[in-house]
Amino acid sequence: MKRTFATAFARFLILRDLAIQLVIREIRLRYRRTAIGVLWLFVFPLVQIVVLNFIFTVVLPTRVERYPIFVAIGVLVWTWFQTSLTLAATAITGNRELVRRPGLPVAILPITSVATNMVLLVAAAPAIALLLWYTGGGIGSDVLLIPIAIVIQFVLTVGLAYIVAGLNVSFRDTQNLVPLFLLLLFFVSPIFYDVTNVPERYRAVYDLNPFVILLNAYRAPFVGTGQPGLAPLGELAVLAVAVAMLGHLMFRRASRRFADEI
Amino acid sequence: MGAVSVKGVGKRFRYRSHGWQRAADEHGQRRLSFRRDAFWALREITFEVGPGTVFGIIGPNGAGKSTLLRLVGGVGTPTNGAIRVQGRVGAMLELGSDFHPELTGRENATLSGIISGLTRRQVTARMSEIIEFAGLSQFIDSPVRMYSAGMLLRLAFAIAVNTDPEVLLIDEVLAVGDVTFQRKCLAQIEHLRRQGCAILVSTHDTEMAAQLCDQVMWLRKGVVVQLGNPADVVSAYMMSTDRETRSRTPGDWQSELTSSGVQLKIMENRFGSMELRITDVRMLDTAGFRTQRILRGEPLRIEIDYFTAQTLPAPNFGVLIRKADETVLFDGYVSGDDIGIDTVSGYGGVALNLHRLDLNSGDYHVDIGVYTHDWAYAYDYHWRAYPLTVWAASAAKGLVNPPHAWEASRPRRASR
Repeated sequence: MKRTFATAFARFLILRDLAIQLVIREIRLRYRRTAIGVLWLFVFPLVQIVVLNFIFTVVLPTRVERYPIFVAIGVLVWTWFQTSLTLAATAITGNRELVRRPGLPVAILPITSVATNMVLLVAAAPAIALLLWYTGGGIGSDVLLIPIAIVIQFVLTVGLAYIVAGLNVSFRDTQNLVPLFLLLLFFVSPIFYDVTNVPERYRAVYDLNPFVILLNAYRAPFVGTGQPGLAPLGELAVLAVAVAMLGHLMFRRASRRFADEI
Repeated sequence: MGAVSVKGVGKRFRYRSHGWQRAADEHGQRRLSFRRDAFWALREITFEVGPGTVFGIIGPNGAGKSTLLRLVGGVGTPTNGAIRVQGRVGAMLELGSDFHPELTGRENATLSGIISGLTRRQVTARMSEIIEFAGLSQFIDSPVRMYSAGMLLRLAFAIAVNTDPEVLLIDEVLAVGDVTFQRKCLAQIEHLRRQGCAILVSTHDTEMAAQLCDQVMWLRKGVVVQLGNPADVVSAYMMSTDRETRSRTPGDWQSELTSSGVQLKIMENRFGSMELRITDVRMLDTAGFRTQRILRGEPLRIEIDYFTAQTLPAPNFGVLIRKADETVLFDGYVSGDDIGIDTVSGYGGVALNLHRLDLNSGDYHVDIGVYTHDWAYAYDYHWRAYPLTVWAASAAKGLVNPPHAWEASRPRRASR
């Protein structure tokens, strides 16, 4: 059968609707029959932001200017990444009834894990705006970096999500390793401290962490964390696409066994 | 227009048994690996289903029917061979497992519709048809964990047939619904067939397979035994049930005396694996008394008691009435599922109520049989073991003689 542009577009529309419906399903399932419902989404990041603020403005004061904004952005961006990968690890193994359904393209499930947790970011935007207004101070013109950073982070996270989702089917150890990896990455990312605190001699290695570049871009408009520069973002974009392609390839190869192994 | 082509398909499952082992791999190197056992669920399966045809798959449990339908639906990949499916696929496999118990019927239906290849808007537009077909208007917004098996079936079927499938896969499930709904399903299947849908059905119900299908394939242990004309394949399958029963009948079973005084001798008038035994059969008249003689046109109740030391899946119960010359006059059976028997263990009983026995007066024999869930063989079959006499005040000819009366009537005026 010839795949014309029209049929490809029709297929795209169905896949888009499928992704939306799967995101809705995931959110409904997670918060159905809970007292505060979707508000749970905010509880963890909020507690984390408050605690970190207390520690680093009262107990161990840092020199970082506008710390509440600084840490709020760090925590939100990190939470998106962390929850996406955690969910992706069980995207296949925890969705038996979807995977064994004729007609469902399984490759959509890890994307759904990332998209679902992105809802948090979108929903938290007003809260950030409120915080900005409260703490005063302007927004830089480099606010346009934020959507770019979001796209890059999305692609990068989807790539990693593919890898962990596929691996976990054959090696359930993956779902235990992912939180460990995330815990380590949390501390070696400039989430609650500034990059300038890292001694110069470690910077060459430290700066390899994509979150150094990403968080820099997210924060640039609000707190002057130095020159973000488009070049590192460009390099990161290339890396993200490469990881996504590798992840998709690994996932495709693993997916031949999904139906038999779950 | 949909079509399915399956060529030389085999499927090997590998089981990872517990722990690691050190064994030689295919290159003769000894290395540490997971212990794996493999078995072939399907071998060398080849068939074609064209647009507008119904293809039936019959065979005992474990024959590979479900695995085959799942492969056609794109769930899993064949180990060898090729499967080509043209058109959008609607499917009912593994009843109820398609739905998430916490989501409502509507939410589940929306997702299923999109998975089967419609946009969200198209599904929303069809939602009222789906709800109406399933007859679930009251419960559509309740979580499906509250649904009964019948409701799940109705919803799954309503989604599958109301989303314009070009290929429809149905596994076993039609037996669950009530008769009215079954009839509705069959009508809808016929409708889809006329629109050019390629339909694959797996079933235990050989009678339905013979009626519904254009072609039937009989599978045993993953291999095609016979493929072709439904009537031929079904009758060959039924014959094999007899053979299978004989081969499983223990030769040294002690003869027993029925409560009606007939000797049951193994391999003479009693056959079956004896995993489940018929312990007593009672024929009761309208007043509830045991009898072997009933009045023509009167009701007859047949009670069957059974015992099994094991736990077995819902068996099939059958009652057959034949004349002395072996002509079968009544052949009724029921699947345990349909009368609320999911599994059997220990003692149990079933009863058949013939509201009116319209047989003409004469001497008959009743056969009682209990078969495995998938009709592979009989657990216990009593052949010509229960004599039955129908009597009447006046003799008449013919095989049946329902209560009747003659009267004089006027000629009807031609309506023109």
